[in-house]
Amino acid sequence: MTDAPVLQFTSVTKRFGARTILNEISLSVSPAEIVCFVGPSGTGKSTLLRCVNGLEDIQGGEIRFEQSRVEAHAKSIKAVRKRVGMIFQHFNLYPHLTALQNVMLAPMVVHGEKREIVEARARELFEKVRLSHRIAAYPAQLSGGEQQRVAIARALAANPHLLMFDEPTSALDPETVGDVLAVMRDLALEGRTMLVVTHEIRFAADVGTRMVFMDQGRIVEDAPPRQMLSNPTTERARQFLSSITG
Amino acid sequence: MHYVFTLRTIYPYLGALKAAAATTLILSVLSIIASLVIGTAIAVLRRSRSRLLRFLGAVYVELMRNTPLLVILYLVYFAGPQLGIRLSSFHSALIGLSLNSAGYMAEIIRAGLVAVPQGQFEAAASQGMSAMQTFRYIVFPQVFRTIYAPLGNQIIAVILASSLASAIAVEDVASWMQTVGSTSFRFFESFAVAAFVYVALCQSVNLARLLIGRMLFRQGAHAR
Amino acid sequence: MTTDWLSYLPLAISATGTTLWLSWLALLIGAIGGTLIALLRRSRWRALRVVATIYTELFRSIPILIVMFFCYFGVPLVFGVNFSPFAAATIALALHASSMMSEVVRAGLESVGRGQWEAAQSSGMSAVQVLRHIIGPQAIRVILPPSIGVFITTIKESSLASIIGYIELTRTGLLIRENGDGGLLPLLALAAIYFAINYMISLGGGALERRFHVGGRLTMAGAIQ
Repeated sequence: MTDAPVLQFTSVTKRFGARTILNEISLSVSPAEIVCFVGPSGTGKSTLLRCVNGLEDIQGGEIRFEQSRVEAHAKSIKAVRKRVGMIFQHFNLYPHLTALQNVMLAPMVVHGEKREIVEARARELFEKVRLSHRIAAYPAQLSGGEQQRVAIARALAANPHLLMFDEPTSALDPETVGDVLAVMRDLALEGRTMLVVTHEIRFAADVGTRMVFMDQGRIVEDAPPRQMLSNPTTERARQFLSSITG
Repeated sequence: MHYVFTLRTIYPYLGALKAAAATTLILSVLSIIASLVIGTAIAVLRRSRSRLLRFLGAVYVELMRNTPLLVILYLVYFAGPQLGIRLSSFHSALIGLSLNSAGYMAEIIRAGLVAVPQGQFEAAASQGMSAMQTFRYIVFPQVFRTIYAPLGNQIIAVILASSLASAIAVEDVASWMQTVGSTSFRFFESFAVAAFVYVALCQSVNLARLLIGRMLFRQGAHAR
Repeated sequence: MTTDWLSYLPLAISATGTTLWLSWLALLIGAIGGTLIALLRRSRWRALRVVATIYTELFRSIPILIVMFFCYFGVPLVFGVNFSPFAAATIALALHASSMMSEVVRAGLESVGRGQWEAAQSSGMSAVQVLRHIIGPQAIRVILPPSIGVFITTIKESSLASIIGYIELTRTGLLIRENGDGGLLPLLALAAIYFAINYMISLGGGALERRFHVGGRLTMAGAIQ
């Protein structure tokens, strides 16, 4: 592919006090890539995602999203956030709004779109995530898997150019994980650009176009999933992958 | 001694009661509004990044919660002339009551803010909402739901506490009761009527709280 | 000439004692009364439950100041019994404390599961025995911390006794102010003394709460005076 990258990290460093969370990360993501981040807990995978839309600031290097520089505390961050959809581990649905209202809020108040247009699109999205029957429910009335699918619909509602999933199935009951992964698979087939932090190695292998193994704030390996799983080049990746694939 | 409860003896004083009830009502309403504003400011202070500001906020709350309102009222009432400001009884009472109630309001609002999880702010930010939009669409509705019940209690508390204004010569319902009692010697009746006014005010708040709550918070939206 | 404020120290100390004594007495009577009302609210007879509920609701809607006025000025006229300011203040404070305590005790009793009553009664204990040996010891952990809050509220409310002329801490402060140069110092000292007492009590209450591992609310809702 010769497309310009959607996202470009150039020696990005993130520190919390004395601790270095991300250490000189460089990474380039092209359109329609599905990048799955794997690795032990606390190695900076989630932080990496949170730096993309400025939920965290960085102490060194540069992040560019569609050619514009990402600066967490600048006004310009809003333009980035409008084009990046994020799905959180704990869903973070708005508890005082129905599922439908959750999806419709940002397109209306942030993007200034008309209610009728947003509602029509929201209903299509609920069909896509197979929740049309739960449109009027409040988050508290939904199962974890249902909440996460509403969260996906909410992220999609703003027509994002990039979708980021931060451990989307880690907080779910095992029996609802499949529904969420199925929806994510559909999105991948649509040719969306996605960053996925996950422990679901099977999903990463089947759906991902790239697998990035991180350890202690660094990218240790970056390869197509099949290649990394069958033939990891580093000892650390090999150990980790064998420990979780069993 | 034989005392017969005769409400008719109070009739001549009902005109004054109307004015007294209005004073109680206006004093309460203004104090509630002012203390909501001050209390919100203090609550925000208590969540500030600056340690000093957080400390000052906490000191304010503790001072107000541990000092009798009556003493605060006297302080405001007598401080005016000392500082060369001419404050009427009513204004002194309004200031004292507002400052005192603000300490409680701050705690109520703080509890409401604390109850909004960090993830809500992050979700709103990730969707590109501004601070104002986040507050208006995400934070405020959730805080309001949490503070709704304690806010009602505090409103009632302010109405009851406003009776202390009579100690600094505000002519409210409590002062009406004492004046009528001591001029007509019909203390039972004046007490009953004054008590009735306060009960009616407080129960109206309760009723309004119930009805508005039913209207705003329909089923399902309650649980988190 | 400035006043020699230090000379008022013994007076301030004894006045603080008076306030504490008045508040403590009111709390004690209030605790007993409150327990009775809480038990009435769980009575088998509907009429008793209704009376108890009305009692608590009423005292939540009537300012304690006018209750105190009535006890002091009204009762002698109506019932022909003369109350001293001390007696009138104690009764009014105790009435309000009892309504607050009844809520506290009720929450305490409710915190003990129904199964405990049934288990104890099925082993042949009388109602009093059940309360004393089974329910009481369990409920007290829930009751004690918020009782501290009622005590603080009562101490603050005891300042109202000054209005009907009882010479406790607040009245003493006002008298000292009138005797002196009319400045704010006596009032500030007054506020400081109340604050110190109540803050210490609330710290003690916090320790108690931690010891009992309960997240009680120290300050009673709806009691700001």
